[in-house]
Order: sequence, then structure tokens, then C-alpha cells
Amino acid sequence: MNLKRMTALFKRELTDILRDKKTLIMMLVVPIIIYPLLIVGMTLLMSSIMSSQAEKTYLIAFENDTDLEKQIGDIIEDNEEKIGYKLEIVKENDCQGSLENGTIDAFVRVEENDKVLLCYLSAKDRSSTAVSALNDAFELYREELTKEKIEDAGLDAEVMLNPIRYEQEDYSTTEESIGNLIGSMMPFLIVTVILLGAIYPAIDVTAGEKERGTLETLLTLPITNFEMIMSKFLAVSCIACVSAVLNVFSMGGAMAFLVSSSLSSAANMNIEIHYETFIPGILFTIVVMMFFALLVTAVCMCTCVFAKNFKEANNYVTPVMLIFMFGSYAAMIPDLELTAQTAAIPIVNVALLVEGLFQFHYNYGLFAIVLFSNVAYSLLAIMILGKIYNSEAVLFSEGLSSVKLFTRRSDMKEKQMPGFGDVVLLLCIVLLLIFYVGTFAQLKFGFFGVAVQQLIILLCPLVYAWYMKADKTQLFSIQIIKPLQLAGSVMIGIATFVGALIIGALLMPVFPESAEGLTQLDDMVVNQPIYLLILVVAIMPAIGEELLFRGFVMGTLKKRCRPIVTIVVTTLIFAAYHMSLIKMFTIGIVGLGLTLVTYKTGSIAASMCVHFLNNLLSVLITKYPTQIQRVLPILFKDRLSVSDMLLLAAVVLICAAVGWMLIGGKKKEKQKR
Amino acid sequence: MIIVDDLCKEFERTVMSKEDEAQTKRLAKSHKKGTLKQKKESFYAVNHVSFQVPQGEILGILGPNGAGKTTLLRMLGALMQPTCGSVAIEDENGNRITDPVQYKKSIGYLSGNTKLYHRMSTREMLYMLAEIYEIDKQTADERIENIAKVLDMHSFMDNRIEKLSTGQTQRASIARCLIHEPDIYIFDEPTLGLDILSADAIVNFMKSQKEAGKTVLYSTHYLEEAQFLCDRVLMIYQGKIVKEGSPEAIMEECGVGNLRDAFHHVMEEVDTL
Repeated sequence: MNLKRMTALFKRELTDILRDKKTLIMMLVVPIIIYPLLIVGMTLLMSSIMSSQAEKTYLIAFENDTDLEKQIGDIIEDNEEKIGYKLEIVKENDCQGSLENGTIDAFVRVEENDKVLLCYLSAKDRSSTAVSALNDAFELYREELTKEKIEDAGLDAEVMLNPIRYEQEDYSTTEESIGNLIGSMMPFLIVTVILLGAIYPAIDVTAGEKERGTLETLLTLPITNFEMIMSKFLAVSCIACVSAVLNVFSMGGAMAFLVSSSLSSAANMNIEIHYETFIPGILFTIVVMMFFALLVTAVCMCTCVFAKNFKEANNYVTPVMLIFMFGSYAAMIPDLELTAQTAAIPIVNVALLVEGLFQFHYNYGLFAIVLFSNVAYSLLAIMILGKIYNSEAVLFSEGLSSVKLFTRRSDMKEKQMPGFGDVVLLLCIVLLLIFYVGTFAQLKFGFFGVAVQQLIILLCPLVYAWYMKADKTQLFSIQIIKPLQLAGSVMIGIATFVGALIIGALLMPVFPESAEGLTQLDDMVVNQPIYLLILVVAIMPAIGEELLFRGFVMGTLKKRCRPIVTIVVTTLIFAAYHMSLIKMFTIGIVGLGLTLVTYKTGSIAASMCVHFLNNLLSVLITKYPTQIQRVLPILFKDRLSVSDMLLLAAVVLICAAVGWMLIGGKKKEKQKR
Repeated sequence: MIIVDDLCKEFERTVMSKEDEAQTKRLAKSHKKGTLKQKKESFYAVNHVSFQVPQGEILGILGPNGAGKTTLLRMLGALMQPTCGSVAIEDENGNRITDPVQYKKSIGYLSGNTKLYHRMSTREMLYMLAEIYEIDKQTADERIENIAKVLDMHSFMDNRIEKLSTGQTQRASIARCLIHEPDIYIFDEPTLGLDILSADAIVNFMKSQKEAGKTVLYSTHYLEEAQFLCDRVLMIYQGKIVKEGSPEAIMEECGVGNLRDAFHHVMEEVDTL
């Protein structure tokens, strides 16, 4: 990467975007002028309408000449403050007719059984207001009558009417209540403004560039693909960030104006709001927004690049926009909070984090996960973008297409191998299914939900491979394994398991839960019968996860990458997949072992077997802790001493060496033949 | 010198299979609606092409529409990756340049699809390009001044490109290819749709560059233009070179008096094969 060239390209993209009127309007005019105007203007309009309504006089008539007219008249006169509207009683002969033609706003009819009817037209706002004021007057009259009746009976009216006195008392500070309100609305606003800021520039630099015909010009320049994408990506992110920050400030200002004006006018109370308490929240929000803008930009660009022109890009990007907005509703779901799991879900994590910030929850650990996951997802999206920009099919609208799933099934070649795009797509599908279907199943069916989740992991790669007519034997490394190689694999499995124990113990001071990751299972599963546990916790993951990671992912990478890249990337994906920052290292080590054995032996049976044994051990430990403790006491120690560690390290070395020899030795023999 | 060795480019195209043709006929008779399966098949848009172009030569690439001219030139400009084979530039010292970034620095590529950035002025664009080609500020100043003089662009150097006329835009496009003073120019139908004056300006430009010892590869449909301008022409049909040589030699071989007739002659010959 050449920094000077990239700066020049970045400058060019930025100039180009900023000279586009559409973007400028979206970025500057909308936030700085339209939003405040709308919010403040609407409020002023509403309050002026309300006050003019209060000043109006509403005309009321009584159909029958009764005593009631005088009584109510007195009440209205005495309680104008309480009722809040001016009511005037007028004489009318044909009350219903007058109501219908609008000379009066409501009238009172007394029926034969002394039932009083307040007659009005619900279709008319004036009439509705009048009747509700009239209703208040009658309510006051009723109270007066009740009081009189009670006192006539010789009782204390105050005690009879209010036998118990109670009030609500709110211990939340004003800031907390306001924060709660803003926190539930803010995520949606933020997602929307970032989208608005990002979409136009994203379309402009991708589809717009194609439409204007400058893409081919750009390709003639001596720049690498990466420089081209990064300069575009950074320029759009910059614009999205700036416009989002502008938006938040202008909206925040307008909202602050609203809150203070409504408080001062409505309540007549001396509430002082300490706006400065929101400053940390706002600052963090801006930081989160910047990271989120990266993701939004990358996703928008990935979508728009497939379009040939502005109009088409607009169509493509609309569903993306809806998905983002839908995700931001997460903040409005009660009880859904930011946890280690939700912190890794794109969009939702940002929504929950921002909501939390305004409710003064500062959890820096989760904060880090949210930022990290946003960067990770953006990188993923940029990688995909790079892939798309490499595809001449997309750039020149001709050539060979790159994601296999996007071609018709009948056109697919038999026995093909998937590409990187397929791996990313499959992982996304599995993640989404697990998150939505799996979580739902777990909530609904408890333990059997776990089985559903495992089934998803098992079926997805198989179905994907079947659909794209992949060469399954090669992709999933289906091959019979020699007993010695299997023994070697198990040895390596033991080595990595023990290695993970050591790492877990070493990380204990940093992440107290890290050691638990390996051996302890959820409380939910403990009470299940042993055969079910073995099936769901040991056998199914051993088959499903291996098919997905050591099968599909590694099989694809193996074809296209160097061995070291294949092994590292597969392991990283496997570790990241368990969605826990704490367990990542220990699972990563075990994953490395699994990846290595399949890579070395060329058979998925190796890693399946090791994975099964590893999970079986967890099941046995959970189910029969006392028996296992007798055999392997070291697994139950809270702290490992230095001598324990050295012993374990020796076990790792010996097992790894023996295992490596067993696997490798056979291979050499094969080569000799 | 540009060296093209066994160059291929594979594309996909949609075709109708024989069953589908039969199906179409059946459907047409029965007036029923039905789905047709379209097959995709791959084909070579450029099919094992090899040639070399020495410095100071103008090479014309001729062929009917869809013959593979644009794809070939795109690969020569390193805009597209070949499916197989290679393109390389050999410098004076005999070193072969294949790294795309270095390679593109020696190429000035112009086609109907290489539009300019509308929202910039010509001057801004040229300075931006100078930065990307890593030309220092002083050299860039001199070159831009010189280019503006040669192409007579002073009157519109600071206008936004979207405001320029077709002829002015074409001159600005040429300026784009000149800023890094490349050794090789690749022009894809440069005179297409231009008026006589603008087209002549481009032809004269190519001549002047040849005289300055530069290589020019260009494709065209104007055979008269190619006849008097090119040192050598390649006739391409279905991705393959079907005739190669100087215009005079080709005309003599075909026994005709101009390149247009020779072209017809060659195409007929290929079709009968």
C-alpha cells in the first residue's frame, strides 16, 4: 500500500462526494436546518393550537328545563381553572339540530329515568373538546353531591371519600427519566441518520461511478485494488460520521429545547436539568457511531456495487436500510440488555449500547466487545467488497461470477469447489439461523433447543454443498482414516486440551471465567439423562461443527490458500464462532488441535473423533464429578501450582510429539510408495 | 516493447439449448406459458493470441463487433486479468514489467468507457493524477503547462469537466493519458463519434507520438484511417488473429486496392472455413 497514492485517491473521492448536491443536502441542509425546524416548529405550532383551544369559548345547551342547568352553570363559573376550557350555556330550542349545524358544541339531555346524556359529535374536534370539558364539570358536580349526601347521613365526607391516602414517589432523578426516554429513541435515530449520511455517498462512489463511466478510468491508474477500495471506503465513512455527528447535535439541541420548554410551560415546577450529566454518554455515543458508520458504509458499498446505476442501487439498498432500522428497534424491546452475547450481534449491539449509555450504564468490557465486533464485521464487509471489486463480472457486467450460490442451480458445474464468498455467506447464514431460530428454540424447548441449534450447524453446510453441487468428498475431507493416524490425532487432541487448561489457568487473573469454558456445561443440561447429553453435547457438535469448520471452511481455504493461512483462519473462525471473548483463547487452542489433525491426516474423521472425546469429557465431568475427580484431580483444581503447570506442559509436549510422529510417519510411508 | 504471449479470456454467455428450442416451438403451438431454462456456457472472447509490438510502431486492431477487440485492449491495459497467457512490457534494458502497478505507469489507456470526473476541473484532475502517478510538484507544473499549450486547453482548464463540449472533453481525455508520459498508448476506438476536426486532431496526435518513438495500439472501424496510419494491422475474428501484417502487404495478398476490400476478403475467407 502506498500512502501517498491513497491520500490522493481519498482526496479525490472526498472532493467528488462533496461536490455532489444530493450528498450535501443530505449531509448539511437536512440536519442543520430541516430537523430543528421540524421539531421546534411542530412543537410551537402544537402549543399555539393548544393555547388557542383553551382560549376559545365552547357553547353548551340544555334540552330540558331542569334544575341541573343552574347547578352545572354554577360549577362551570366557579371552577373555570380546573376545567381548563371556557364553557358557556346558551338557550336552544332544537338542540340536536343546532349541534349538527354547528351553532352549539354539545348539549345535555335528561331522560325520563333521570339519566343524563352528554350529547356531542365525536367527528368534530370542537365538539369532542367541549364534551370532555362538560364531563369534567359533571364530575365535579357528582363529587359535590356525594359529599352532601355523606354529610347528610352524619358522616365525615373526607374520611368516607378517601379512606386511604396514597401517592407515587419517583426516586429516579430527572436526568435518569429523561435518559430512559432518550435512550429508547436514540438508537433508531442514530441508525437512521448514519444510513442517510452513508447511503448517498456509498451509491455515488460505486454505482454512480459506474454510471458516469469513470470506473474504467480509475482502473487504468497505477493503484492496487486495496488502495482503491480503502480510499472509497474511508471517504464515505468520513462523510457518514460527520453527517451523523451533525445530526445528533442538531437533534439533541432541538430535543433539549423541547424538554426544557415543555417542562417550564406545563408543570410550572422548578425542575433543574443537569445536562452535563449526559456529556459522557454523548461522547461515548459519538465514538460508537463512528465505528458503526464503518459497518454501515461497508455494507452499503457491498450492496451498491452490484448495481449498474443510481436507480438500481437505490432499489438494492432499501432492504438493507430496513434491516438496519429493524435491528435498531432492539432498544425498544424491554428486558433485552447488552450482554456478552448480544454485544456481538451487529446493529442490535449498537442499539443496546446507546440505550444503556443514556441510562448511565457504563460497562467498558461490553463497550470494547461492541467496538471490536463492529470493526470485525466492517473488515469482513471490506473483504467481501475487495472480492467483488476483483470480480470483472461485477465491474464490467460480463465475465464469470464469483459467488457460486448466485448462479442458477441448473447452470452450476458438477463437483465444483466453493469460493471465499461462499464461506462468508454460509457463516452468515448459520449465524443468523442460530441467533434467531436457535435462540427461539432454546427459549421455547430448553434443552431440545440446543439440539435444534446443533442441527442447524449440521445441516447448513450439507445443504449448501448439495445446492452448489460441490465435490463433497474433497470439500469435507471424507476419507477413511488409518488406526495409527487416529491414535495420533487423539494424542494431539489430548495435547491441545491440556494446553488449553494451561492457557485457561494463565488467563485466570485476567478473565476469572476463562478456566470454566473448557469443562463446565450450562446448568440447564445437567439434569438430562446421560444418553441424551452424550447425543446432543458430544456427538452432534462433533459431527456438525466439524462438517462446518474443518469441512466446508477448511476444505475451501485449503484449495486456495497456503497451509498456514488455512489453519490459522479456520481456527480463528472456529474460536470467534463461540461468541465469547473470555473463552476464545481456550477454545482457540482446542480448535487449533482439531484443525491440525484433519489437515495432517486429510480425514475429517480425525477431528470428529477428537471433538467427540473432548465434549464427552465435559459431559462426564458434569454428570459424574466425584468419579472423575478421583481419576483426574487436576481438572478440579481452582489454582494450578507451578509444578502442576510444568507437569501439564510436559504432557503437552510428549503427546504432541508422539501424535505428530504417529500421523506424520504414516504419511511419509505413503509418499515413499 | 509490449509482448503478448498466448493470451486468453474466458467469458460466460447465455445460450438456448436444443431442448429449449423444441420447448419454445411446442409452447408457441399450444399457447401455454412455461419456463425456459437458459443455459450459460463459457467461451473465449480472446483465444490464444500472441504478438509483439516494438517501440515506435502504430498497430491497428481491426475486427467486426464482438470480435474481442475491447477485451484484448483491456487486458493489454491491465484492466482485466487474462484467463491464461501473459502481457508484459520490455524496457530498454530488456527487463520485463508484469507487476500491474508498474505496468500501468507505462501505459496511457483511452477508450469510450474511460470518462472523466465530471465534478472536477481539468487542472484539478491533472494534479490529482500527477499525485497518483507520483510525479513531483515541479515536474507536474511544467507538464500540465505544456499539455495545456499543446492541446490548446488554456481557455477551459479551470472549468468543470461536465461543462465542456465533446471536443474539449476529448482533449481533456488525451491530457489524462499524457500526464505520466507513458511509452505505450492503448486507444480503443478513439475517433468514434467525433467530428472531422476532433478526429483529425487525434490521428495527428498518434502520428506525433509515433515520431517521438512511442508505441501506439489502437482499435478502429475506420479502415481508411487505419490504412494510412498503421505500420501493421491485426485482424481479429472470434477472439483469434486471422490476419497480421502491414496494410500494404495484406492488400497485396488479397489482390485489392484498399484495406476495406481486404478486410471483406479476409472475413469472407474466414467464414467459408
